[in-house]
Amino acid sequence: MFINWQLRELNLKVVYYGPALSGKTTNLEQIHAKVDPRRRGELVSLKTAEDRTLYFDFLQLELGKISGLTPKIHLYTVPGQSYYEASSKLVLRGADGVVFVADSGANRTTDNLESWENMKAHLTSLNLPADIPLVVQFNKRDLPNAMPAPLLRNILHVNGQPTFESVAVRGQGVFDTLKAIINGVVKNVQREMT
Amino acid sequence: MTQKQSRQYNLRSGLVLYPAQQEAIEDLLTGLAQNTPAHFILLADVTGQVISTRGGQNSKNTVALGSLVAGDLAASHEIARLTGQYQDNQMVLREGQSTHTFIGEAGHHLALLVQVSTETPLGWARMVIKKAARQLAEIAAEAPPEQQCRPPAEALPAEENLPDLFSDALDDLWQE
Repeated sequence: MFINWQLRELNLKVVYYGPALSGKTTNLEQIHAKVDPRRRGELVSLKTAEDRTLYFDFLQLELGKISGLTPKIHLYTVPGQSYYEASSKLVLRGADGVVFVADSGANRTTDNLESWENMKAHLTSLNLPADIPLVVQFNKRDLPNAMPAPLLRNILHVNGQPTFESVAVRGQGVFDTLKAIINGVVKNVQREMT
Repeated sequence: MTQKQSRQYNLRSGLVLYPAQQEAIEDLLTGLAQNTPAHFILLADVTGQVISTRGGQNSKNTVALGSLVAGDLAASHEIARLTGQYQDNQMVLREGQSTHTFIGEAGHHLALLVQVSTETPLGWARMVIKKAARQLAEIAAEAPPEQQCRPPAEALPAEENLPDLFSDALDDLWQE
């Protein structure tokens, strides 16, 4: 979080985390496509030659004036491949909220779990608050082998965090997830300011 | 002055800049641009949020640059740490054909990018930029006296239902 009282700017950082090919970049692409172009920046993507996220994707949203402040939301994704785990940790630095994008495919359980555990470990090692807002998105609900959402919740030990089912390539669930994480982050901001 | 107005915010993470600090930063960057001399300067916080720029604003996407500078600095830190070379206040220099680019940290909260002509002596540029980075770190680290710290009264959202206001703003943003 970065507050500039001179410019009355409130800058918030949200990171989309999750295993490789779970749909993190797709979430940002959908947000980029659906948001008024005058209110968002360019989608910055650092990709490999194979079109996979190498370091991060980045998108800034501007919400206009709210209660005398000009909020700017910075959305980042991490690279999902475990080979780039060190980069994923760096992107989490300074996050105000995290969206965990899980792949609903039954064959991705181990990948989801591994990524979930890595995320938790990184949040701890970065000294981010234990109660950092976290939203879980169960993506690819249209897969024929998609696991039931309650089972995914159990496997990941989701403990009270909001969860959303999505088909990000069709934009389903993307906005609800975004709204939920912003809601959690802003509640934290308000708590810290009062 | 109400109790609320006189309060300083103690956020668990992140950076708060008050008007007096912002003004000091602006003065310092103006001086840095003249003394180096620099083609372009960008100051961001370490998560990539742009605080200020000098020169070249019209031709550069500063929002994207902010995220990339922060990412570049974070990667450089991690490379230094993994190779056992980490020290505070590190700086990376990229030598170009016509422009040299310095990216360095200014304390724990700020990332500074400075581009200078290749005609500028590197030793001079490095010295001036390092000094400026130290001063920027000091400005960011020390909250100014309370009179100057006072956030604008109308910018205090404590009594508003902020989550609902943000939710409405997001609804306005979304085009189905």
